[in-house]
Amino acid sequence: MLKGQNISYSHKEFEILKAIDFSVAFGKLIVIVGPNGAGKSTLLSILSNELESTADILFKEKDLKKWKIDELSTHKAKFSQQYNTDIPLFVHDVVLMGRYPYFENKPSSTDLEAVEKAMHQTDVFHLKNRDYNTLSGGEKQRVHLARVLTQLKNDIQNKLIFLDEPLNNLDVLHQHRILETIKEFTAKGNTAIVVLHDLNLTAQFADKVFLMKNGKVKAYDVPEKVFTQKIVSEIYDFPCMICENPVYKKPMIVFGNARKHEAELV
Amino acid sequence: MQNKLSIYLIISFLLLFLLAIFSLYMGVYEFESSFWEIIKSFFSSETAVSETDKFVFSDLRLSRIVMAVLIGSALAVSGACLQGMFKNPLASPDLIGITSGASLFAAIAIVLGSFIKPHIPEVFHFSFLSISAFVGAFITMSVVYKISTTGGKTNVMMMLLSGVAITALGFAVMGLLIYISKDEQLRDLTFWNLGSLGGATWTKNLILFCVIILSYFFLIGKGKTLNAMMLGEKDATHLGIPVEKTKKQIVLFTALLVGASVAFSGTIGFVGLIIPYILRLIFKSNYYIILPLSAVLGSVLLLGADTISRTVVAPSEIPIGILTAFMGAPIFIMILLKHRKSL
Repeated sequence: MLKGQNISYSHKEFEILKAIDFSVAFGKLIVIVGPNGAGKSTLLSILSNELESTADILFKEKDLKKWKIDELSTHKAKFSQQYNTDIPLFVHDVVLMGRYPYFENKPSSTDLEAVEKAMHQTDVFHLKNRDYNTLSGGEKQRVHLARVLTQLKNDIQNKLIFLDEPLNNLDVLHQHRILETIKEFTAKGNTAIVVLHDLNLTAQFADKVFLMKNGKVKAYDVPEKVFTQKIVSEIYDFPCMICENPVYKKPMIVFGNARKHEAELV
Repeated sequence: MQNKLSIYLIISFLLLFLLAIFSLYMGVYEFESSFWEIIKSFFSSETAVSETDKFVFSDLRLSRIVMAVLIGSALAVSGACLQGMFKNPLASPDLIGITSGASLFAAIAIVLGSFIKPHIPEVFHFSFLSISAFVGAFITMSVVYKISTTGGKTNVMMMLLSGVAITALGFAVMGLLIYISKDEQLRDLTFWNLGSLGGATWTKNLILFCVIILSYFFLIGKGKTLNAMMLGEKDATHLGIPVEKTKKQIVLFTALLVGASVAFSGTIGFVGLIIPYILRLIFKSNYYIILPLSAVLGSVLLLGADTISRTVVAPSEIPIGILTAFMGAPIFIMILLKHRKSL
């Protein structure tokens, strides 16, 4: 569904991405993880048509650059971090922007329903008449997540959603709810590509993990094969242990230097 | 909210219409005939309406009212569009130097034009004037945009300071022109700095009308687009908004609107600041509502100000730029106070 070969990207002599191959099928939740500076956000930007690289990215067999942006906006959406942008609008109007690809002047009842549903999914419905600027960081984050979700509520098959660190500033309940919402989204044949920091949440929800370091891909496989003690401690340059998560039956990564702490306890 | 737009528009148009009728009857001269008789006299030659009545009605009052409506609308819409593009409530043509740039080029056109004026028909003369003003506005706008915006983010300080710089330059050149000009040109030049609708003619109104129709065709529907641009240019593109094309259109058409307005009425400031500010107090920064309402309420503001300017010290008049400055300066201060932390 989305394919890119030999993706490289440099910024002023500094190579951020080095010849990365990426491909993903329908109905999968891919999580991109890696240490800071690995190039995760850059890769996401290139795959989502925000940045241009020399490689061609094929979305549904067609080069991304050849898609018309208004049509593309009904097939794919991206959530990015909104750093401190002042938006003097009501929350409802911010979420409604997700439906802009669908109406010229007046939103239809379908649009308004989609907005309502998305607001319920990210638990911001009770905030809908509030001034966006008065919300907390986590609430603003959820408003934008609702906006991105509502953008893809349509009858098109096999849509694509990109999420760059969607869980920042969210409390545990909402972190899980968002990931579950995304999982439901992929269960309908859509694909989600998410950048996360939390390895355990990644292990719990991802279908495949794309592990990066220094602009290169180090592993791209199911969580059980990627999250081994050898791979994780080498990539993150930090000792860790892998055990089984009692709730999700997936790998659970615990960081820390076991021997050092045992010595302290004695 | 979207449904109510039609209601607000209707109310605003009604207000404008009533104000226009009211303004028609304000002034030192009192009409001898009734309203309908005067209107009829334009279509049939056999009536008892005096020539003075017809002259005052059409060439003095109505043309001036129409010009106030057109220019007020143009300036308010330019202000709203610029604020959307720069993502800042202070961006208005006069504060960022576009009005100065336009009047600078217009003044040069006047001085040059006095050499060719006797030889060409009126329409071309005014077109040359408005084209020069447009060129001035366009160049200034491009310069200010390039200086103050990098990577889609506007540095507000740079935006305002480049406005200060350009206004200073305009002031200097204007001063020079006034110094070297003959008496006849001096009268024209002096009114630039203060603004006046006294020179309204139907030719000028026609040109203004054409400019406005053309520009509004592209700009009035941009409410949704400007809202989306508040999310940042990348996210707006993900929503299918053609950001670069929109910015180019805004630069081009606001330059046209400001250029034409300045060419015919001189420097009338603050309209583009006042109207969007008041609308934001009620509707927040929802450009879908603010843009069309600015088009009508800008007219209301300028028409009201013009009516006051020519009746308060009748038979002479206060230059309208003075009145708009009196209204606009406190609003400027209020915006600064409100955004103290974020600007």
